[in-house]
Amino acid sequence: MELRAESVHKRFGTAVALAGVDLTAAADTHLLLAGANGAGKTTLLRLFAGLTGPTEGRVMIGGQDPRRSTAQRWRLGLLSHQTLLYDDLTAAENLRFFGGLYGLGVETVSSALVAVDLADHAEAKVGGFSRGMKQRLALARATLHTPEVLLLDEPFTGLDRRSARTLSTRLLERTRQPGVSSVLVTHNVEEAAQFVNRVIILRGGRVVCDEPWSARDGALLQALCDHHQEVPR
Amino acid sequence: MSAVPSTWAHTRILLRKDLVAEWRTKERLSPMVFFVLLVLLVFNFGFELGGAALWEIGPGVLWTSFVFASLFGLQRTFAAEGANDCLDGLLAAPVERGALYLAKMLGNVLFLLGVELLTLPMFGLFFNLTPGLYLLPLFVVFLLGSASVASIGTLFAAMAGHSRLREFLLPLLVLPMLIPALISCVAATGVILEGGIPGRGTELWPAELTVHVGMLGLFAVVFTTLAWMLFDFVIEE
Repeated sequence: MELRAESVHKRFGTAVALAGVDLTAAADTHLLLAGANGAGKTTLLRLFAGLTGPTEGRVMIGGQDPRRSTAQRWRLGLLSHQTLLYDDLTAAENLRFFGGLYGLGVETVSSALVAVDLADHAEAKVGGFSRGMKQRLALARATLHTPEVLLLDEPFTGLDRRSARTLSTRLLERTRQPGVSSVLVTHNVEEAAQFVNRVIILRGGRVVCDEPWSARDGALLQALCDHHQEVPR
Repeated sequence: MSAVPSTWAHTRILLRKDLVAEWRTKERLSPMVFFVLLVLLVFNFGFELGGAALWEIGPGVLWTSFVFASLFGLQRTFAAEGANDCLDGLLAAPVERGALYLAKMLGNVLFLLGVELLTLPMFGLFFNLTPGLYLLPLFVVFLLGSASVASIGTLFAAMAGHSRLREFLLPLLVLPMLIPALISCVAATGVILEGGIPGRGTELWPAELTVHVGMLGLFAVVFTTLAWMLFDFVIEE
């Protein structure tokens, strides 16, 4: 499904988060949004998720504004550094709740829990989970409805190397499905190298680099990002 | 792709989740009930209650305590969604923003109604309220009064949730708007309680009650509709 941003500006009061971003990504594109803090990466991702609207310009998912179209939002999966899970509910209740919002039956829950190795913790409250378990459950929540577009906002934050690797393997399985696109926002650029086939670097709310990426070399990708963040355009 | 559930189906799912969470934690109902009981206790010691006080100041005491207690509940309306950015999860899901408003509003109605029903016996005890069938219309007033408070309160809870001064901002926004509903609640409750005066007519629905209940119903419908329409703008920014 196509993602499109047309002359997108986003301001928060006097602060400019995005200053005229144009971007089109066809299906099967796996985008890395890189840039320093405050570059506008998360704002752009939130616009694609329909969580907020642009001050100027248009953001479209499959040709429609995600804020106005529930059918288009159905096609999105959002995984963030925050779990987006309810601590007072159990793992199964969380998935049943979100599954219900997507019109899915309860039978999807058990297979989703098995897929992230949490079947034994189905009836445990999420509040008692470790960070790694929470993030695995968050992945199950985000992919319960097999979305066509995965929006990933710093999903590895706060994870130790082993948990990050586990999550990364599972994410890779999801994003490599045919027809699936993804947008990954991360500072951990080396981790991202295996996911992405296009790199967009933002600085001061503008796109300063937009290049295809086929190498799996994380150090090389990090060098590219560092170069565009440090050298004036 | 499964069919996107209807707005009403989403409302039920969201409401059920809030009720399950509240059943486990009691973090909204308990403080509200205790607050009402404390206010009634303070009034009990502060005034000479009983006798004529029942219909002279009773309705005012009752609704003042309900409205202030409701602020505790309203403050917590989006608390669960604030933790772990769960609100983002809901907004990114194929849920109409209106369904979220309706679920939260209905939840607030149920919690407030629960508080009113749980604390009514204590009010009756302090004010020497004679039990009887004449009290039945009180439930209609409770229901419409709760709906009025929740209609405005839910919208402003979402609005104040973005502010650092939300504890201060919410009463400041809600209370002035609620004055017309509060007047109707107090007047309707007064009419009902007067049914307990010995020698009064025994009619179940006094004629003058219709005006006040009608006003309350109108308030609840108008403000629920307005808030439902405005919720989109409030929740996103």
